[in-house]
Amino acid sequence: MTDEPGKRDALSDGKGLPRRRFLKTGIAGISGVLGIAYLGLIGRYLTPPAIGSDPLLPVGKTTEFSLDTPKLVVYKYGGIEQGVYVINTSDEGWIALDFHCTHLQCAVNWIPAIKKFACPCHGGVYDMKGHVLGGPPPRPLYRRIIRVQGNSVIVGGRLA
Amino acid sequence: MGRWLDERLQFSDLLRSVFEHPIPKPSNFLDYLGFATLFAFASQAITGILLATAYIPSAAEAYNSIKALQAVTLGSYVRSLHSWGANFMVVLVFLHLLRVFYEGAYKKPRELTWIMGVILFLATLGLAFTGYLLPWNQEGYWATTVGSAMPGYIPLIGEYILRIMRNGLEVTGATLTRFYAVHMLVLPLIILLAFTPHFFFVLRQGMSVADKLEAAKQRGEDIEAKSIPFYPNVALRMILLVLVVAAALWILAGVYPKSLGSPADPLNRNHYVPTPAWYFFGVYQALKYFPGRLDVIAMVGLPFLLLIVLFGLPWIDRNPSRSPRKRPLALSIAAVLVVGLSFLTYQGIRSVPKPLPTTGVIAAPSYKADIDPIFQSRCVGCHGQSGGYSLDTYANVMKKNVVPGHPNASLLVKRIEGKVAPQMPLGLQPLSKDQIQTVKNWIKAGAKNN
Repeated sequence: MTDEPGKRDALSDGKGLPRRRFLKTGIAGISGVLGIAYLGLIGRYLTPPAIGSDPLLPVGKTTEFSLDTPKLVVYKYGGIEQGVYVINTSDEGWIALDFHCTHLQCAVNWIPAIKKFACPCHGGVYDMKGHVLGGPPPRPLYRRIIRVQGNSVIVGGRLA
Repeated sequence: MGRWLDERLQFSDLLRSVFEHPIPKPSNFLDYLGFATLFAFASQAITGILLATAYIPSAAEAYNSIKALQAVTLGSYVRSLHSWGANFMVVLVFLHLLRVFYEGAYKKPRELTWIMGVILFLATLGLAFTGYLLPWNQEGYWATTVGSAMPGYIPLIGEYILRIMRNGLEVTGATLTRFYAVHMLVLPLIILLAFTPHFFFVLRQGMSVADKLEAAKQRGEDIEAKSIPFYPNVALRMILLVLVVAAALWILAGVYPKSLGSPADPLNRNHYVPTPAWYFFGVYQALKYFPGRLDVIAMVGLPFLLLIVLFGLPWIDRNPSRSPRKRPLALSIAAVLVVGLSFLTYQGIRSVPKPLPTTGVIAAPSYKADIDPIFQSRCVGCHGQSGGYSLDTYANVMKKNVVPGHPNASLLVKRIEGKVAPQMPLGLQPLSKDQIQTVKNWIKAGAKNN
């Protein structure tokens, strides 16, 4: 790595780092450290909040929900009103379904006449518990954390 | 002033070498599309900066800030210019790409210019996509929700990419500020970084059309009669093209002002059905042709293949000839792709759910003029190529559910009236009474393909 062969730098006595190489290493090293420092900052932006880390928020009273009838409730977080279907099922207890279709995340609608969820975009159909009955969705509707404390219904983030 | 600068910087020789080179006669306007794209970008930069002075990037304020801007005539016009300008830029950059392809100008020695161009093309689409969310209206919110859901289908890293894009699982206020930063700073920076070498290479190597002329000059031939100087002759033609593009942009932005629509409603109380910007209609429509789980091919496979082909083109296409006549294979493939994309885009625009003009009840409706548009806009979203009953073509409509001459016996009518549950369209606003009566009149008259 000696740059000019045969021409030793005055400060180098033949041992250790030649001066030129020392300077070059310095330039690369300092730029590298600065670069890595900023990459570290950028890296923080590449770690989105963990799935399910949304807070538990009250969305209604237990008396507002009829048995086996999904009701769209509002979960206010992140500056928006998020849609969650809460169902008090007769066999599984309380469940909360994220209202985004798992195909391309259009909002699904509960159709009381046929007791099914339908997506208007590409015709995805789900049963009351979010299992796919037809259309392109690759998986059931996502479930969200749900708790019942006293008569208060509390919903949280998505279950993975 | 010029002399003062030249005395210090000795620019004139450099400028002369760049601007006074000969261009073959006749010079084609299609060779100036890159310059027109540059104009469109400059227009976007200027109107974008103006919009940024009024815009507030937050889920609570974004819509209102644009609404306040729209209340001012000039503000509304600037926004319209920016929105139309985005369409212009997408179209111009795409036409420029097609022209360069047709001319074979991506071949040696201009491979790097092509690569930079591909980056510029992708960054332009990125700007169009990220800009769509910023007004925080219903259209932008849901187009972004669906559009950013697509990368979720990439194997293994899909969900992670989706969460980075949105900064979470849903499109929230955090997504808005993220898109704002990318739209305002990251993508313009990428455009600048890619455009500088792109432009420098063109200056250094000249336009590919001038290569033959240069070769003739090297051989010592007199090229005077076959050429015109770039500056001022060709430059004037370029600026004329820009004038035409600018006039079209200004007129369209004035005559068809960009509306704002209703504010984003993540709960979607009004059952809005998302649609993308028209230049993404190709993908939107292609999705309908891939049944079931195969739609991942349209969402991930095809775009990925397109990326490889675009970036690898100078190396995939080993044919050294630049003359269109000697490249039948390359041009045929490209022609098929362009025709296919145009067809998909057209079909997509046609089938998009849109509010139909309230024409009242039509006594003697025609299938093509009155009935098909209702089906296309309200039904084929679900009852299209997939699903049990299709309403996309006359033949499919007539397969069942329609009894010519007897509207009340037709299941189709019972469904849209809600007499047989579930009422159609499923989970959406029913058809208007007028539309239902029009469909009944058409069946009463024999349900003809007229």
